[in-house]
Amino acid sequence: MNFVIVLVALLGSVWLLAVVEGWTTTGRLRPAAPLLSGLAHLGRESIVPRTPDRVFFETAPVLLLIVAVLGAAVLPLAPTLVIADLATGALFINAALAYVLVALIMAGWGPNGAYAMIGGWRFLGQLIAYAMLIVMPITAVAMRAESLVTTVIVGSQGGLWNIVYQPLGFVLFFIAAMALAFRAPFDLPTAPGELGGGVDAEYTGVRLGVLRLARLTLVITLASATTVFYLGGWHGPLLPPWAWSLIKTLAVAVSMLLAGRYLPRIREADLMRWCWTLGIPLALLNIIVVGLLVLVVP
Amino acid sequence: MISDPTMTITGARQRQGGFTVLQKWVSRALAGNLSCLIVPGPEVALSHGLDVTAAGMRITATPRDASVLLIIGELSEKMSEAVAVLYAQMPRPRAIVILGGQPPSTLPDADFSAGVSQAGLIDAVDWLKRALAKGAFSDSPEDFDAAVLHARIDYVCPMHPEVVQNEPGSCPKCGMDLVAREAGEPAPEHDHDHGHDHREHRHHEHEHQHHDHAQQHEHHEQERHHGHCHEHHDSHEHDHEQHEGHQHSHENHHDHGHKHQHDESDGDAEEKGSGHDHGGHDHGASGFMSMIEVTKDLPRSADGLAMDWMEVPFGPVFPGLPGGLKLTLTLDGDGVTEGQATSLVGMINESEKGKEIDAETFIERLASAMPLASVSYRLLACLAIERAAGLENDSATDQARAVALECERIASHLGWLAQTGRQLGFAWLTDRAATLQLEIRRASGKRLLELTPALQALAARLGRTPLLKSRLKGIGILPSGTGGLSGPVARAADDAGDAWARLWQRLDEIITSLDYIKATGEPGLPVLRNIGRGSGTGEATVETPRGEAQLSLILEHGQVKSYRLDTACSHHIGLVAKLVEGRELGDALVAVGSLDLSPWEVIS
Amino acid sequence: MYAQAFFVAVFGLAAIGFGVVVFRTSSMVRSALALLFSQTAVGCMFLAMQTEFLGVLQIMMMATEMSIMAIFMVMFMMDPGGMGGMDMTHQKRFSIGAGVVAAGVAIVVAFWADWGPVTAEAPDAAMQTRALGMELLGRSMLIFETAGITILTAMIAATAVAIPVQTTANSADKEDTE
Repeated sequence: MNFVIVLVALLGSVWLLAVVEGWTTTGRLRPAAPLLSGLAHLGRESIVPRTPDRVFFETAPVLLLIVAVLGAAVLPLAPTLVIADLATGALFINAALAYVLVALIMAGWGPNGAYAMIGGWRFLGQLIAYAMLIVMPITAVAMRAESLVTTVIVGSQGGLWNIVYQPLGFVLFFIAAMALAFRAPFDLPTAPGELGGGVDAEYTGVRLGVLRLARLTLVITLASATTVFYLGGWHGPLLPPWAWSLIKTLAVAVSMLLAGRYLPRIREADLMRWCWTLGIPLALLNIIVVGLLVLVVP
Repeated sequence: MISDPTMTITGARQRQGGFTVLQKWVSRALAGNLSCLIVPGPEVALSHGLDVTAAGMRITATPRDASVLLIIGELSEKMSEAVAVLYAQMPRPRAIVILGGQPPSTLPDADFSAGVSQAGLIDAVDWLKRALAKGAFSDSPEDFDAAVLHARIDYVCPMHPEVVQNEPGSCPKCGMDLVAREAGEPAPEHDHDHGHDHREHRHHEHEHQHHDHAQQHEHHEQERHHGHCHEHHDSHEHDHEQHEGHQHSHENHHDHGHKHQHDESDGDAEEKGSGHDHGGHDHGASGFMSMIEVTKDLPRSADGLAMDWMEVPFGPVFPGLPGGLKLTLTLDGDGVTEGQATSLVGMINESEKGKEIDAETFIERLASAMPLASVSYRLLACLAIERAAGLENDSATDQARAVALECERIASHLGWLAQTGRQLGFAWLTDRAATLQLEIRRASGKRLLELTPALQALAARLGRTPLLKSRLKGIGILPSGTGGLSGPVARAADDAGDAWARLWQRLDEIITSLDYIKATGEPGLPVLRNIGRGSGTGEATVETPRGEAQLSLILEHGQVKSYRLDTACSHHIGLVAKLVEGRELGDALVAVGSLDLSPWEVIS
Repeated sequence: MYAQAFFVAVFGLAAIGFGVVVFRTSSMVRSALALLFSQTAVGCMFLAMQTEFLGVLQIMMMATEMSIMAIFMVMFMMDPGGMGGMDMTHQKRFSIGAGVVAAGVAIVVAFWADWGPVTAEAPDAAMQTRALGMELLGRSMLIFETAGITILTAMIAATAVAIPVQTTANSADKEDTE
């Protein structure tokens, strides 16, 4: 039952996010647009490029979608509304999202095109930049909760949300999450202006539809993770817990979307340099500060 | 496989007659989701005052994502070939819309043609919507096929690269079977748009056929990963040299090399284990592949790593570059080792010999040949002809013309900003600059001045945008002592000479032009004054938005006999090779973009 | 119990299957990713055997590691796509021998070793994680820290050795990030 509810919530969020995305790009609010766009993908021809690595080409979009849904499986909407309340939830989400890289490498290698391939491998470089900034802030979150269980993590924020308790961690995690979701300005693997779509470049029809759905789902999953780890999950007055989770998730997702619109794409070298020379020391500092707080404050 | 059922819904061939409910919905969805690939490029649409988004179509970056091929204006022959490849890459259902031009011979007939106007565009969208809702599912879709999509197959000897034949056979030197290969390899042959390598194959057939095709290719032993082309030319030659070396000393080993490299089915190979050829590997050693050995003679790139190189075309219809410009980069991973730019749409100097052109026609022709700066070139032609006819300057006309030129400068710089936004994935900038450009094109003198705060706000906003400075600063620095520069590129060279300086130079010029317009008056489109049947030689220079353009012509009895045009872009395009060398791909493209090359203004 | 055995078997077979693919394909990228999925299947076996933390950790670590291996393959191999028809095997006789011996040893150990009494019920995942943390930061801390520092030293040393002498600032940056 939980499975169905969470999945419906996930799809609903994706739909809302797509509506907002359409609104920001075209300036018109059209609730039916994402559905029509999905249908239109069904209607288009799904071309396979010449001499592809067929297995990779077919697997990549599906794998990306599965990974995004798996990541969402450990994130609670309400105290009991979670697909799998794993004892290692906070680690599991990292494990699931590590396969975003695998999916993108497959999508890049599969079609046998230069743009896609460069895009796929670029994401490996991007991973080297963001990976530590996902894991280390989560470490600090787990330290405060003294648990890797996501529901316990949300529970630990009952008095004070983590965004206040460890704002530094929130900022780092938010940026790294955007890089993981390869949204603008971190859209190096797709980069329309540099690689003509990169990993997306060769997909058409249904496959492109699945790929786009997977990308939006990934954004929602990461927004949901941000909510669970930093924004107090289901905590909030008046409204039922699940409503708060959804509202916060959507707010984070939309802010991720909007940030990209007002920023130029980051340089690869800059991303790498800032993440390693600035991001990781700050993440360590965050861990130390949180450690001290956990030990000192009762 | 997900795709198979959908193939029956969509497409390519419909099995049962009649329209199912699902098909009806899908058709309606398709009609509501028009996405278009603009040829030559969105910047041309803007400079013609077309607002594609307002007409109800989404502008896409790639042909894969497009359902409408929107062609604006006449296409050169090379462009037509590139467009045929683009069209072949578009998924069906797809349509061709031509605004103001002849349909290229390489493409099927246009589904809709109209003049270059917003009304024409809106008509086209209406028509497409109706047509798609009605007939997205054709009973007998036609396969698109064009000569440019076919590759010539050569047969080469795997051992002797110099042996190339038109037909299968055996090598006259070693007797080995020749192997099929696309003409132009190993230097990759895509001289077409996207590196989507689709020449030989009609890829609108069913997927099974694709599959067969792939299978077939896997049996070609020399068939490298085309698009990737990990095999650099040098490594081939390297193999070859090794083998020749062995040929002299160990005859047997030479044979091993053959067997190993080219005969997969050779099962018992233990005594030949050391013989296979991985570059400079020493026969008889342990048999491990040493990366040092393998890569020691490959060319090194700037970061000191030896990797295989690939040559990748960017353009002529590439979202990050002006349409018509083709950039060929040799990539080493994400780094550019060398590159060069060519224009596929540039004007050719010197008209047909002995053919005289009417002065008015000449002006029109020149103006329409330069879609990104038509007012400037109209002015240039008017001035040159008037001088040739011996007319005196008229200050009132001159002033109005100068204002028109400044208007175009603002519009052109905004067009560049929109293009830069597309390249940098900076959606807000693209939208804002495009909107302002369209408004400026429609504006009168007074309205222009009302736009001043908006333009100033745009500049201020760019100054505050995070990441923009780090993205542009230090990119595309001109080599010291570069001559032949003009326009914003030259004026920014005194400053820092990088992309950031060029951005600010252009933003400053927008404000300066506005001040000039404020002080002077209404713009007036350059119109040729009465020259009668004057004769003589005339020369004129105009500071176009991209730099100085010079036109000298000979006028005889009101007819242009011959002319000579020199433009800034013709010189600037030569800078590309130096600017991209050794840079990362993103930086190289930003550097090229910051030059604001208009491929139309590249004179060959 | 039977379900558990079933999943262990399924994932075990998947691990072996992907392991076979590693050697049966001549595409380096496929090979690397097949190895990845083989290791992922091993991680799933851990999960099926109720060692949640180890399983998840295995699944997480392999994704990045194998991807990095794949890119090195692509960078340095002659024919990473496997479309050149180049034979990628070597030392067949030796490797067959080594494989058979290793398999034999593994089987012998599996049957002859004293595995101790079968635990009736594994502690729950949270307890395991806690116990693992206590172990890692208690008795075994010195061992793991030593191993960690050694690996880090080796990585830095290898990078330092790999940088050519006439290095530019640019290449130093690049090496650091890898």
